[in-house]
Amino acid sequence: MNLDTAFFMLGLTVVISPSALLAMMGASSLVGLPLSERWLARFTQAAVALGLVGSLGILFLMLVTDQRNVPVELGNWVLIPEQHFQFHLKFIFDRLSVPFAILTFVLCGTIGAFTSRYLHREAGYGRFFLFYALFLLGMTVATLAGTIETLFLGWELVGLSSALLVAYFHERPNPVRNGQRVWTVYRIADAAFLIAAISLHHLTGAGDFEALMGSGPWPEGVASISSSHALSVGLLLLLAAAGKSALIPFSGWLPRAMEGPTPSSAVFYGSLSVHLGAYLLLRVSPILEASLLLSLAVVALGLASAVFGSMAARVQVDIKSALAFASLTQVGIIVAEIGCGLRYIPLIHIIGHACLRTLQFLRAPTLLQDYHSMENAIGARLTRPPSLWVRLVPDRARTWLYRISMERGFLDTILDEYVVKPFLALFRWSDRMERRWTDLLSGGESRESDEAKLHPASPEEFL
Amino acid sequence: MALKIADEPVTGDVGVHSQHAAVLHAVKHAAHLLPSQGPITVFVHHNTLHAFEDLDFEKGVEAGGRLYACHAYLTEEKYRQMLSRGRIRVADLEAVLIDDLADEAALFVALFGTRYALRLAMMQFPFLTGPDEELRWMIAETDALRRFRPEVEPSIRDQMINETRKWVLRDLQENTTARKPAIDVVGDVWEQFDRRSIESWSDQAWETLVLNFLWRVCERGVRLAYEQLPLREAQQESRRHRDALMRVTGEDADILVHDVLIPFCAAYVDQGFADWELPDRHDGFYASFLQLYGNSFASPTRWMGKLHGEARRLLDSGQGPLESIEESLGLLGVNQTERDEFIAQSLLALRGWAGMIWQLETEAEWAPWPVPEGCLIEYLAIRLILDRLAVAQVAQEAIGFNGPLSDLRAEAARHARMQASNPSDGRVFPVFHLAQVRGWKPEDLQHLSQEHWVTLVREINEFSALERRRVFHLAFERKYRNEILDAVIAHAKSRRADPVGDPKPTRKSTVPDYQIVCCIDDREESFRRHLEECDPRCETFGVAGFFGTAMYYKGVADAHFKPLCPVAVKPLHYVVEEPLFSMQADADFRAGARRRLGHATHQAHYRSRTFLGGVITTLAGSLAAFPLVARILFPRLTARIRRWAGGMVRPPMTQLRLERLDPEPGQSNGQLGYSIDEMANIVEGVLLAIGLKGRWSRLVAFLGHGSSSLNNPHESAYNCGACSGSRGGPNARAFAQMANDFRVRTRLAQRGLTIPEDTVFVGGYHDTATDSVTFADLDRLPVSHRNDFLRLSATIAEVRARNAHERCRRFVSARLDLSPLDALRHVEGRAEDLSQARPEYNHATNALCLVGRREWSRGLFLDRRAFMSSYDPSQDDIRGTILEGILRPVIPVCAGISLEYYFSTVDVEGYGCGSKLPHNITSLVGVMSGAASDLKPGLSAQMTEIHEALRILFLVETTPEVIARIIRENEQISRLVDGNWVQLAVFDADTSTIHRYVDGEFVKHEPESHELPQVASSFDWYRGRRDNLGVAEISSS
Repeated sequence: MNLDTAFFMLGLTVVISPSALLAMMGASSLVGLPLSERWLARFTQAAVALGLVGSLGILFLMLVTDQRNVPVELGNWVLIPEQHFQFHLKFIFDRLSVPFAILTFVLCGTIGAFTSRYLHREAGYGRFFLFYALFLLGMTVATLAGTIETLFLGWELVGLSSALLVAYFHERPNPVRNGQRVWTVYRIADAAFLIAAISLHHLTGAGDFEALMGSGPWPEGVASISSSHALSVGLLLLLAAAGKSALIPFSGWLPRAMEGPTPSSAVFYGSLSVHLGAYLLLRVSPILEASLLLSLAVVALGLASAVFGSMAARVQVDIKSALAFASLTQVGIIVAEIGCGLRYIPLIHIIGHACLRTLQFLRAPTLLQDYHSMENAIGARLTRPPSLWVRLVPDRARTWLYRISMERGFLDTILDEYVVKPFLALFRWSDRMERRWTDLLSGGESRESDEAKLHPASPEEFL
Repeated sequence: MALKIADEPVTGDVGVHSQHAAVLHAVKHAAHLLPSQGPITVFVHHNTLHAFEDLDFEKGVEAGGRLYACHAYLTEEKYRQMLSRGRIRVADLEAVLIDDLADEAALFVALFGTRYALRLAMMQFPFLTGPDEELRWMIAETDALRRFRPEVEPSIRDQMINETRKWVLRDLQENTTARKPAIDVVGDVWEQFDRRSIESWSDQAWETLVLNFLWRVCERGVRLAYEQLPLREAQQESRRHRDALMRVTGEDADILVHDVLIPFCAAYVDQGFADWELPDRHDGFYASFLQLYGNSFASPTRWMGKLHGEARRLLDSGQGPLESIEESLGLLGVNQTERDEFIAQSLLALRGWAGMIWQLETEAEWAPWPVPEGCLIEYLAIRLILDRLAVAQVAQEAIGFNGPLSDLRAEAARHARMQASNPSDGRVFPVFHLAQVRGWKPEDLQHLSQEHWVTLVREINEFSALERRRVFHLAFERKYRNEILDAVIAHAKSRRADPVGDPKPTRKSTVPDYQIVCCIDDREESFRRHLEECDPRCETFGVAGFFGTAMYYKGVADAHFKPLCPVAVKPLHYVVEEPLFSMQADADFRAGARRRLGHATHQAHYRSRTFLGGVITTLAGSLAAFPLVARILFPRLTARIRRWAGGMVRPPMTQLRLERLDPEPGQSNGQLGYSIDEMANIVEGVLLAIGLKGRWSRLVAFLGHGSSSLNNPHESAYNCGACSGSRGGPNARAFAQMANDFRVRTRLAQRGLTIPEDTVFVGGYHDTATDSVTFADLDRLPVSHRNDFLRLSATIAEVRARNAHERCRRFVSARLDLSPLDALRHVEGRAEDLSQARPEYNHATNALCLVGRREWSRGLFLDRRAFMSSYDPSQDDIRGTILEGILRPVIPVCAGISLEYYFSTVDVEGYGCGSKLPHNITSLVGVMSGAASDLKPGLSAQMTEIHEALRILFLVETTPEVIARIIRENEQISRLVDGNWVQLAVFDADTSTIHRYVDGEFVKHEPESHELPQVASSFDWYRGRRDNLGVAEISSS
């Protein structure tokens, strides 16, 4: 077996194992034979272990052979030559993707083990693990993507599974409301991503990162597009990253996403999913380097988000929101680092942050016990001297800052009022026009749905 | 006063004052309805519907259910499952129905049989209910009109088919006089059948014909009946504008309100979690809210702008909260008569938070950030301001309403759609189903008059789902109660006839080898049973787990004093644990190390959430991967390493400062502890209560209990209920030290209670999650008693494994074929596992409380469902003074646990706190579900999933006269017992008879069965079973 075959086989293992997991879980519930808790947990463990071993194997081989860029080609899945379109499935193993893939497998494996006990006897056990498999596959594909369309595929899977997991407790209204909100923001990010991907295809004739970034393994690539093109495409990608990583102005969804079971909050918003935007920026870093303006925009957005996040984190009184904004702070800093042209530091930062935050999220329900034991160790109530700038800032301004932080920067309210509402108004207007038209045609009431009752009557359900 | 305000219009001012008083009164009254659970760190089980205890249980759960929109009983579906699994028997239904109906049982309902028979049929056989659409689908797409329901007896089915066949062939085929009316009713159905081949129809075809006829007849009958009956009973209308709007538009104005109110409440009651304190918090809820929303810049949206304007206006006008409430009520058009109810409903809209504010205001003076008095009023003022702004906004957007809010409810009512006026298929189904199971033939039904139908339909409506669930519930309780009472009688009889095991009544003078006193907790039932099984020569007792030693206690590594006694008791004494005098230096060094570690942890804890601190901690965060992976994949190993590492800073050996030097107790150095006389009183009280007198073993062990777990905000609820949700180890330790003190013994001897010199007490602690048992002050054990202690600890080692094994049968994640040692490892692992949502099952399945001598209950397998308090009536006086002392705390505490479990089980989202999985600790006082919700008091789904919702049954060994006196003279007991919130029975051990307390009378219990299954050991009885088990006799104890 030569080296290339070994790489290919290992790479295939890494990608196939999560796909097989998803296929198995999906198929078993599709044919009406849901797997038992024990088997779900076992399959998950096996898939993650296999993926982890595969990626560690590749890392080992790469270190031994000093190869820095290992592509794994799975061919063109869709090819429309007239339209210059192909769906090219290709994975790259390089210094960026391999650590990130290993991180994904380690954290997902840990969360999987945690959840298999945490969700014991839960009616939605199978559903959780189905979404989990979807997420794992999405993360793996997005991480290892060698073409922008492959990255988009993974990106979509991650988005879908995240939104579904936020709405995991679908019998209560709030999770569903918030899940929908997450989904909406993701769609905006996806739209930006899709436009960027199409533009790249137009500019370079292919979605291949190698073609795009020119020669050299990550992070030494040089973009092969002009500065102005880089700026326009880059801004779209920045928008996509902002949506996914909850940067300003999309930060509002991050605390709202704390509706799912604790481990899903940990893995999605604390550690992996929230870094995907930053990862995207790292992946297309040559484009950033091609335009100074773009880099500045990235730094500005990152810093603004970090400052906002740290302020908001200071006023939160529930542990999960506090951790969510703390995550946002660090993600903002990471993005800013990327904008500054750093490459390895953000990567280390992502990995460190993901691990720490996951641990903190999983331990969130221990907060009271932690406070108790800290108080006991110190021997007094926990107090903090008011920090310097609180002492310096005048009262009125502090009330101001407090209010902004408490309202989460009014980001959601502003989006609702000035984006969502006009949008809805437009569509409602269209709806009214359509109704008029159909009423006219049918010569009377044309909508059966108008008759539907708002609340199905069930006088004796309660009590 | 009158002089002072003479210049002003007197009447007006008095009016304002009385109005304010009325508002205050209304708020106070409504506060009573709010959840009464304080900060979650001190979790005390209590009756969730405490506010309704004045009512009878059945009325109370209905009233409470209506007020909180919660279930009163389990769902009918659950009861039916129990019926099919034999947890409820038909015999129980029959007995309860007869009891419930009394004279009305034999009442004839038109021509349909007795009321009793009808109701029994309705209970026994489920009928479909659901939205009309679903039922219509059932008719169209299922066999509902082609096959009889499966539960219809074949004989009835055959008879109906045969009779109908005769009728059809006789009347419908031929042109007779009887044909006309029949054809009028079923004609169109009849048309649809192929009548030419009627001679050769299969049974199948006949069955379809019968059912179609039946359906048609019932449909017509029900329609006739509803010509005279109201379609919908008048429902109690909610008074809130938001509800009126919601009914019309489906838009929820509370979303707007709660988006503002929840974060603000959380920030206001925060006990020190957030870095930034709420500005102007010290000015009170009302003022700080107005400052925050009125003083900062204009806000970017219309809703925020409105709020800003209103807050500004109120700030400028200087209105106080009471005036503001008046103003809001006026603007909303709430008149005097509905005011109280309106205020209550407004407060209940976010009842978790309002309740927490009230609790912090009234009950939690110890909180680090207390809430000043009057806060709930201020909360209401803000709530009403937000309510009217939000309602106005929603009304304008949804129905274009711009008028004064006082007209809004009328306007909303105008918008309400007309209700459908046809009796729907849903109303026909019950009759159709009843006709099948009771064998009512279409031929007979078609002749019924309108009055008959009205009677029938009214009868069915009267026995509504709620009524059925009530009867199901009573039947369920009856089943368990009879089983237990029968078993106790049979067991007591058999023990008298054939006394096996120890201590035998005939050998009462022989002394057990050692005696163990546990808490009355239901989790100790199995522990005590296994002790007696393992070593039949031991004797066990149960007494409330603070062992009479009410104290504020501070452990050597604790920062604060905490009360170790039932909540109702206010301790006077303070006790500290201190390092041994000779080890003070070492202890100081370790305390210093702990303090430095604590500071470092605290810094890391909150710095990791800041900007720069976060960068540093997260850049090094990869290191967190090790504890992360280790703790989740190898919880037990990690715990061992952590313990080992923690050992370096753990305090060295300690002692309790128990003896007071100063005359008055207090917190300062000389005031700690008890005087010798006080100690003697405590020891005497406990020993008399459990009846430990005259039969002294050489070793008497007292075991307090608690429970350890990780990632569990409700940890306090798992600890000892008699110690205010803390661990009861120190109480046992203190008690043993007191009882060993020779000065105490001398004083006791003077009072006639002589403890022999060679009797030694030891105190210990039982962790009910890990089943570990640790003893305190073993160095003080006399050398002469070491062997006794070794024997005791060997037994306990065995008992731990056995007890863990019995507990494991309840954990689905533990295999049933575990060995006892593996089971012990399993339960130890659970308590150290971050991902474990069920470290143990706490009080789940509790259903019983025995008060009396252990003799008659020893050897009964009670499945960890019984609280057991020891009491020896032969040592009590004729009035039952000792018993009264026992029952005064035991009945309310056990009732509180039982009822909290009851309500959290019947409605885990409404009364309980829902699933544990999305819980989010807020403000260090409670949990929310997810990102932002109401605070959730009560128990979680994971805690109650195996619980069976029953009212606890007290079985007390005493006479009816004594218990009647105790009930009469103790108001709290009387409310619970006479209100039927608990069940009570008395047991006479000499005659083995039981009298149940029913509506103030004592009714002799007649056993249904006299046999008890006998097994050699508990293990033989529970082996391979996960569900609730019946009672059995264990012969080895």
